Amino acid sequence: MTAINPQKGRVIFHIDMNCFYASVEAAYNTALKGKPLAIAGNPEERKGIVVTSSYEARKKGVKTTMTIWQAKKNCPELIIMPPNFERYRAASRELFRILSEITPDVQPVSIDEGYMDITNVNSELSPLDLADELQKRILDELDLPCSIGIAPNKFLAKMASDMKKPLGITVLRKRELHLTLWPLPIGEMYGVGEKTAAKLVEKGIETIGDLANYDAYELKQMLGINGERLKNRANGIDNRPVDPEAIFEFKSIGSSQTLPFDTVDEQEIRKLIAVLSENVERRMGRKNAAGQSIQIMIRYQDRKTITRSKKLYRYIDAKDEIMHEAEELFHKHWNQEPVRLLGITVQDVEVKKNIATQLDLFTYEREAEKEKLYQAIEGLSEKYGKDVFKKLDAVNDDDQPRTSFQKDFLDDYKK
Amino acid sequence: MKFIIQRDQLIASVQDVMKAISSRTVIPILTGMKIEAKESGITLTGSDSDISIESFIPAEENGNVNVEQIEEGSIVLQAKYFPDIVRKLPEKTVEIEADENLKVTIRSGKAEFNLNGQDAEEYPQLPKLQTNDSFELPIDLLKSLIKQTVFAVSTMETRPILTGVNIKLENGNLVFTATDSHRLASREIPVSEAPGQLPTVVVPGKSLNELNKILDDTEETVEISVTNNQILFRTKNLNFLSRLLDGNYPETSRLIPEQSKTVLHVKTKELLSTIDRASLLAKEERNNVVRLSTRGNGLIEITSNSPEVGTVAEEITVPSISGEELKISFSSKYMIDALKAIEYEEVKVEFTGAMRPFIIRPANDDPILQLILPVRTY
Repeated sequence: MTAINPQKGRVIFHIDMNCFYASVEAAYNTALKGKPLAIAGNPEERKGIVVTSSYEARKKGVKTTMTIWQAKKNCPELIIMPPNFERYRAASRELFRILSEITPDVQPVSIDEGYMDITNVNSELSPLDLADELQKRILDELDLPCSIGIAPNKFLAKMASDMKKPLGITVLRKRELHLTLWPLPIGEMYGVGEKTAAKLVEKGIETIGDLANYDAYELKQMLGINGERLKNRANGIDNRPVDPEAIFEFKSIGSSQTLPFDTVDEQEIRKLIAVLSENVERRMGRKNAAGQSIQIMIRYQDRKTITRSKKLYRYIDAKDEIMHEAEELFHKHWNQEPVRLLGITVQDVEVKKNIATQLDLFTYEREAEKEKLYQAIEGLSEKYGKDVFKKLDAVNDDDQPRTSFQKDFLDDYKK
Repeated sequence: MKFIIQRDQLIASVQDVMKAISSRTVIPILTGMKIEAKESGITLTGSDSDISIESFIPAEENGNVNVEQIEEGSIVLQAKYFPDIVRKLPEKTVEIEADENLKVTIRSGKAEFNLNGQDAEEYPQLPKLQTNDSFELPIDLLKSLIKQTVFAVSTMETRPILTGVNIKLENGNLVFTATDSHRLASREIPVSEAPGQLPTVVVPGKSLNELNKILDDTEETVEISVTNNQILFRTKNLNFLSRLLDGNYPETSRLIPEQSKTVLHVKTKELLSTIDRASLLAKEERNNVVRLSTRGNGLIEITSNSPEVGTVAEEITVPSISGEELKISFSSKYMIDALKAIEYEEVKVEFTGAMRPFIIRPANDDPILQLILPVRTY
């Protein structure tokens, strides 16, 4: 057996699950197959928006971020389900397990997509056949559809997987970019958001091809370093490696929530700060981490948003400490206007086993007071293994992530 | 001014005096070295205004002639060039001559340097200390007091007082204490001919380091005199003057635990080399952490790990161990410093818990105390 592509440079796959949440629900309950299905957050409150929907629902005009009310109007027979993150996490874990059986060079990007570098995979199959087999296996074993993009780098692989859904396999070759990639409208380019697209269109850049051939200097003036990067990508240049560890690197852990009603009621705000602090504590606990700075975000009624942060002299990880610091910051920076959303983030986060705090002769008494507790934890850890407290948490249903963009889903991947 | 001097004597004195001279000083003339010739001998002076050193070369000593043909006078020479010139001169004697125009000629064999000097009148007068409050110590004892404590001073200016060594004399005992707030070193010795009372002073660690380098390990004595802002160490041919640090030294004695929960006797060298090995994987940015665990059956284990690198573990059989089981993490650097300072083959280590300071003493109960604050790990 030989490596798939020994002389011709890299071969990257981008695996993108199709309508992931809806597909997982349909896999659990086959009665849902072929029906218009939407997953939506808390239906009663204003957060009740469509998170994702099946292709059947999309055909009827249901779109992500639409309110439930509007979605129902477009598609009266729409089935609406609340998210069940535990299921999605489990499915995601299985997915990445399958991917990592092919190569260790797997980089999860989110709960339902990831890159693979198969350059060094020893196989008699061509990349196309390998992708085909992988897609079938995911469908057979997990009952989940996915699309796969094959290309010499991450950007093109990502663009490729997007070209044919569901169950597509698309190869983007560099020499064919003028036929495959360049005709696409600029807004469809990965990395070009609404605002960037508007700026580019204003300059007459309507397609990815226009961007590829635009003057580099002018782009840099317009978009800074990102302009240069986007032009390179449009020309099929992207040297980023597939980094299996990237998802595990985290520098901050946070939680934010919109209030049911905009408020100036300090009791309400205090309650929310408590909830957010608890969320952050739980997430830090899951990662066995502690952090050295705290940041708060306040969004006001008029959507004006401020973030303020503060460096702490010690590592914190407990709810009380987080809450204390967050409240202090809040009261220092709050302008008394009605608050719509609050966020708390602990930054400069390190895994606890990498944190060591040198005690101080003049202040050690404070730390020493907690000695008994640490001893108890240590004793239990030795007796029942390091994960004793994490395991307790994992049993608790409350411990599951509540939002789709969190990367916590992968905490157990590779353990 | 003129004299002929033995080159070796001159080199030794120049080297000592250079310890006080800094090229970065606010008073320009202090970048120079003052040379003063009198019938009795030659005095070299250097100062950076924190430390001032005077070294005296007697014209005659023990029947040997060090300096000849002395014509009295004084001059200040650029310290940047003078030491190297003296070191590289060809012959065993050096002739130094300064004229009224501050031109200096240095001759040795056929080599002749002509240098521009500066007027010694412009060189600041060193303060004259009243020597009422003074006492004597053998030099080798002073040197070991310094060596056993000065390494523990703080190198950070956040609490300036901790950059010095606290010296106090009470009840006929002389006590040196230094701490950077993460470890503390202290040594106590009885002083026989002590004055009743001496002001408690804090001497900059840097000064004591320099003094330690200059003093030869002899059994001759050094006379120590203290005023409220200066301390003078005087030996037969040397005056070492240092400013004192302003401010109150924190009371540390109450922070030193009096009871212990785990007591360990261990061979100093064995513990030192084990910790030294374990520290190979301990990283500086993570406080050089190593971990000590009691293992029962007279065993302790030293471990360390670095997530990206690997782990190390080593057991030591100890002569005795008593009290509670213990697991404690601490900086290997502090431990190595402390063990090196103790200079005794067996040490007693007393712990009072994983989050509290522990104490290392020589097993023979010499009043040397090394205290280390542990590192809290999660």
